[in-house]
Amino acid sequence: MTPDFHSRPSGDAARIALIACAVAALGMLLLPLATLGRGFSADAVLLHLTGNVLNLTANQQVPLPPTGAALPLAWAAFAALIATLIGAWQRARWFWITGLLTFVLATATVVLLGAALNEETSRIAADTTLRAGAKRQLRNFYASGGMNMGLFLPALAGLIAAGAGLTFQRRWWETFNRMRGLLVPASAIGLAVLVGALVVLLVQPAVNQSGTPLSLWGGWLAKSDLVYFVYSTLFAPVTALSPLLDSLKIATPLIFTGLSVAFAFRTGLFNVGAPGQLTMGAIAAMLVGVYAPPSLGWGLLLLSVLAAAAGGALWGAIPGVLKARFGSSEVINTIMLNYVASAIFIFMIGSDTFPFLGRTYTQPFKAEGSNPQSELLQPEAQLRPLLEVLNVGQNGTVALSIGLLVALAAFVITRALVRRNRTLIALAAALVLGALTWRIGIPVSITGSQLNGAFLIALACVVLFGTLMWRTAAGYALRAVGLSPKAAEYGGISVARNTILAMTIAGMFAGLAGTHYVNGGALDEYRLKQNMPVNVGFDGIAVALMGQSTPAGVVAASVLFGTIDTGGVIADQKLDKVNNDIVTVLKALIVLFIAAGGFLSRRVTDPPPAALAAAARPETTAPPSPSEAHLERGTPLPNLTRASEENTREGGQ
Amino acid sequence: MEGLIAQIFTTAFLATFIRSLVPLLLTALGGLFSERSGVVNIALDGLIIFGALAGAVVTQVLNPSLGAAAPWVGWLAGMLVGGLIAWIHAVLSIKYRADQVISGTAINLLATGVPAVLLTALYGVSNESPKVENALPLWGVGELRFSPPVYFAFLAVAVTWYVMYRTPYGLRLRATGEQPGAAASMGVNVRRMRYSAVILSGVLAGTAGVFLSIGNLDSYVRNISAGSGFIALAALIFGQWRPLGVLGATALFGLLQALSTYLGGSDLLPPALVSALPYLITILALIFTGRSRAPKALGTPYEG
Repeated sequence: MTPDFHSRPSGDAARIALIACAVAALGMLLLPLATLGRGFSADAVLLHLTGNVLNLTANQQVPLPPTGAALPLAWAAFAALIATLIGAWQRARWFWITGLLTFVLATATVVLLGAALNEETSRIAADTTLRAGAKRQLRNFYASGGMNMGLFLPALAGLIAAGAGLTFQRRWWETFNRMRGLLVPASAIGLAVLVGALVVLLVQPAVNQSGTPLSLWGGWLAKSDLVYFVYSTLFAPVTALSPLLDSLKIATPLIFTGLSVAFAFRTGLFNVGAPGQLTMGAIAAMLVGVYAPPSLGWGLLLLSVLAAAAGGALWGAIPGVLKARFGSSEVINTIMLNYVASAIFIFMIGSDTFPFLGRTYTQPFKAEGSNPQSELLQPEAQLRPLLEVLNVGQNGTVALSIGLLVALAAFVITRALVRRNRTLIALAAALVLGALTWRIGIPVSITGSQLNGAFLIALACVVLFGTLMWRTAAGYALRAVGLSPKAAEYGGISVARNTILAMTIAGMFAGLAGTHYVNGGALDEYRLKQNMPVNVGFDGIAVALMGQSTPAGVVAASVLFGTIDTGGVIADQKLDKVNNDIVTVLKALIVLFIAAGGFLSRRVTDPPPAALAAAARPETTAPPSPSEAHLERGTPLPNLTRASEENTREGGQ
Repeated sequence: MEGLIAQIFTTAFLATFIRSLVPLLLTALGGLFSERSGVVNIALDGLIIFGALAGAVVTQVLNPSLGAAAPWVGWLAGMLVGGLIAWIHAVLSIKYRADQVISGTAINLLATGVPAVLLTALYGVSNESPKVENALPLWGVGELRFSPPVYFAFLAVAVTWYVMYRTPYGLRLRATGEQPGAAASMGVNVRRMRYSAVILSGVLAGTAGVFLSIGNLDSYVRNISAGSGFIALAALIFGQWRPLGVLGATALFGLLQALSTYLGGSDLLPPALVSALPYLITILALIFTGRSRAPKALGTPYEG
């Protein structure tokens, strides 16, 4: 992937485009183009590029939307795809244009099909002869239809080809080069999706409710549709507001634990202890939330949140101290502490009594009754649902304040426009505009979202992570230790002190996840209960790796994981052999492939530093980088198990 | 108090002790090979789970056709699958020079998801396999009756000691973990040594899993390893990466686990807290050993 700025795209770029287009062209021929409708058990009516319709639903007479203009458009997209393929083969200058055209044509087909399906849905809604139940069923039937892999692949391949084709222009090359950090996670996700697809193909039998046995070809189409169905269900929650809020709710604890693992990564430590730290944080939050004097009022909530942070920090500090003082590996110690924390958790809420030296005592922290849970939190210690906080409350309907959105938009726009002190000015602008628009609401229809205030605490932690790590002297010392302990020690930075500090802060982040479960009522009640999913702590590892240990990356990865967790529940309901655990496998595969560098060549993932590359090109007038913080964040992750000498180079930048 | 001690030190307790010791011993011996070759193997816990699953499922599937021979084939399958999964760890950490701790963690994560997917596909339930009709046979006298992997484990200690210190393979393996560059210059194929050691660790951990699923119980249940892999890893460090040290350390941890099983039923301490004892002792044990005697090249990919 060496950039050669000639008039033609590089061989590598052309090869990438060629492969993408070949796969997409095959996909268009071999896979269903679109789903015209889908029943509850994922039984579908499939449309192929040839215009053949395969009905796998129980109702063989169900009226189908007209596909009139969609098929010719799809054929046109196919033609453009072939043209791109030939262009990529010849390394022609123009193939990015046909690539873009493929994308546009495929997208237009999707839009057209979507319109036809919507028309069908509204026709059903207007039909007065249908029973309410049948109406809902038919509406869902058409609403679950849409594009299938035969349209998804050419759109994707068109984008890839256009991007690859454009790299012969320096401007585009540099844009793509700056996004290089995304390569490994993207490739890892792609590979995990591929393996997951194979698992689905192997595990789940074709869904066929039509009563007629499937031919070989029909069976293949039905099977391949299943793969698309599973993934479209997993990633669907981003497309509607209600499930999106649900996935943000599930993402909240992942942000905490992801930040925790990422913080440790940055300082060269591997924190496998997030589950234990989360548990201790939740226990501490519960203790304060239930037993602190109610006279504190709002201070009770604050104290409870601080207790969660302190509980996690303490649990993180132990392995930190052990590593700094005795040199015992933090990996094994954090794992052991997970088990200890889990034992304490079970001890506290597991049973009503416990024996001690031959006598039996009653357990004071467990609520009365057979359920393993603590007492209810005092109302002052509860974090309200975010919707309630953001609700302007006009005339009894739900109306969301647009203040938050306006503030966010103002922040992004101002930050892009202003040159100096941009973060401060942007923050001020966001605050002012947000405050001004706080009372303006937009009515929305949301069914009881449980997204709670812990989400805001998580965002505050993201800001804290970024500020602490890249804007303070302490953060500099922490990163220096992560990049090369020896060099840091030589430079007068105490490795022991920073190891303890790093583990304490990492533990604090994980402990704050307890606020989501206990104060935020994410366990369906405002109390500590046994169904707390401590595995979220391990997901933090995947989140941190996928987010490249940057704050923004952690948020993005958490939202992605929250999305597929939400979607996994739906897939679980509809298919009998595929369940939620496929999501766990996907996450594990993502970690596996990221560990392998996405199986990408090292030439791609670790090219020579920008400064060296610029020095090798005498004709360039080395343009000032757009964002120095960006570059800073792009520094390679510290090596975890060894202090390799080559890292000192970057450490000294 | 005396009553309790008399109650504990019985043949039944000895049997429990040996049953808690064996999975730790097998896994730690596996870890010994891997770590002596310079590859950190955090994945041991996951390897146990994969071995246990493969053992139980294969035995269950083959039972109608093979009858009493099925568990033996199941054992073989557990070893093979353990070795195969360990091979993935080996490829990542040797060929792709991945961070060995992360690669191992990925395999542990896989072990939390794959069994559930597989069991759902095969049996429609996600957390346990159906009971096998023929588990591994029990050999021995009176209350001290154990399945073959128990005897295999003690044999493995002797064999490991012999291989490690009395064969060219052991010498090369140790050299690979200490100074891969020097070993390579003497004509040792460092990568092949590491591959073989890591796969061997998977085979031994897979056997530990087979013991848990069809040697001790008669089915695979979710979370069957209960962290044995990590305790075995700690025992490996505590035993200073030496076969006899590993035997001593796993005996200590096995004793603690057996004690916590026994104390859990008594009225001396809260059972939940007693179950945490082995982990606490592990932390204490690690304080006193540290990483002082670790193979020098442990955790570093070989760049040759």
